[in-house]
Amino acid sequence: MPSEISDEALDFLLARAGLSLSNAQKAELKGIYAGIAQMAERVRKPRGRMAEPALTYGFAEEDLP
Amino acid sequence: MTGQIPTIAEAARQIAAKRLSPVELTRACLDRVHKLDNQLHAFIRLTEERALAEARAAERAIMADGPSGPLHGIPIGLKDIVDTKGIPTTCQSKILAGNVPGADAACAEKLAAAGTVLIGKTTTHEFADGGPSFDLPWPPARNPWNTDHFTAGSSSGTGAGVAAGLILGGIGTDTGGSIRGPAALCGIAGIKPTYGLVSRAGVAPAAFTLDHIGPMAWTAEDCALMLQALAGHDPRDPASASRPVPDYSALIGGGIKGLKIGVIHHFHEVDYQVSAGTRRGIDDAIATFRDLGAEVREVKLSPLQDWMACGSLISMVERAAAYEEWARTRLGDFGERVRSRLMLGALVSGVDYVQALRRRRELRAELQAAMAGLDVVLTAAQPSEAPKIDTLPKWDVFETPSFTMPFNVAGYPAISVCSGFGAGGLPLAIQLIGKPFQEPTVLRIADAFEKAADFRSKRPAMIAALAPA
Repeated sequence: MPSEISDEALDFLLARAGLSLSNAQKAELKGIYAGIAQMAERVRKPRGRMAEPALTYGFAEEDLP
Repeated sequence: MTGQIPTIAEAARQIAAKRLSPVELTRACLDRVHKLDNQLHAFIRLTEERALAEARAAERAIMADGPSGPLHGIPIGLKDIVDTKGIPTTCQSKILAGNVPGADAACAEKLAAAGTVLIGKTTTHEFADGGPSFDLPWPPARNPWNTDHFTAGSSSGTGAGVAAGLILGGIGTDTGGSIRGPAALCGIAGIKPTYGLVSRAGVAPAAFTLDHIGPMAWTAEDCALMLQALAGHDPRDPASASRPVPDYSALIGGGIKGLKIGVIHHFHEVDYQVSAGTRRGIDDAIATFRDLGAEVREVKLSPLQDWMACGSLISMVERAAAYEEWARTRLGDFGERVRSRLMLGALVSGVDYVQALRRRRELRAELQAAMAGLDVVLTAAQPSEAPKIDTLPKWDVFETPSFTMPFNVAGYPAISVCSGFGAGGLPLAIQLIGKPFQEPTVLRIADAFEKAADFRSKRPAMIAALAPA
């Protein structure tokens, strides 16, 4: 995942999200984008395609003592 | 009594013995509110008339039939993201400045049913995120140990209010540490229960799959008393767990000889190096646990930054989803910090979010395996004593990993308790994490530590300086 985002890509994502930001706010987001890119890399680990995400609530029996 | 201010357990015993009047207790809390809250800003709204009416009603009932339980007549506060029927609930935001809910949140309802006295709605970071902010309709809470310093958040008012004795306990909410952070920096106890144990119905969401509701009080024993009233299945909360509610005080005072404690040294020594004072507080706590007969072992998990990345990505997206409509139509009405956090959701893709959810399952399995044969694990609650309130970076989420977020990611119960005081005279804390639904064990160990370490006899100096009520 690239650690920088172009003006065009940022404008596309913000438009899709329905957010109207000032140029200063956009510049701020560009400045911290690398932090999000690093986080996104950290959650990508070698795993098979069958690895399902966590349940959003409840605990399986194996979680319980 | 602990100085001028009783714990909930002490007050309950005195009330049951008819040696303490709920009206006197409530008046003493309100007196401290009037003398101190102009410096602390722990409350966004006082409910003084209601509090006195509830205290009088409690007194009448207790005189006639005895207390209905240990919370009968106990003054509390509710974080202002908790709906209260007929009382404005603003989430500390201009967006909800005129909001008056038509019904109580589940936790408010349960505490009222237990006979508590509502002193008021406590200060929060806007929508439980982003603070401390100085551009909101209300000021941020200040730390009672030194009002130039931060309380941590987002349950900032409840933390400050309990520490200063404005209330004996209160409600916090915790999406990445918002109960345990203020508990740590304000020198009190606060437990984030297992995900699903306490109903979130009627509480403004921050991030659906990370949100928890829990008690904050002066001691772990008090947290147990409050949790007893709060726990239990609620069909109004889709994540509510359907399990029997145990006696959370049953193991209190039982000692911890032979219990097994794992220490995640690398979280606070390698992945992020905590301050020397915090490190000393943790090491001293470990020595105390050994003295009490517990067995202490080392535990290794994935780096703290992996847990933080997982929780942060989930939080950014779920928050943006929850507040999408207002972000699109009223973005300028949020304070700067929350406005900025809401923008982040646009930069995280759907695939990033699902990868974070998949990573969460892996991390939770890792914690489960690491805790096999252990009763709790221990790490830091905060990286240092409370920093000055005006020095906090806006984008701290990318700078300082959270020691509390891993256990929101996992959904495991975790408590913060005071572990001493640093060079600046501000509280230090440790965090103890238990297995799912094993709050009685977490509270037992936390209580044993508090009683052995004896940091509960010291209150902020601003209280000692007060003239007797």
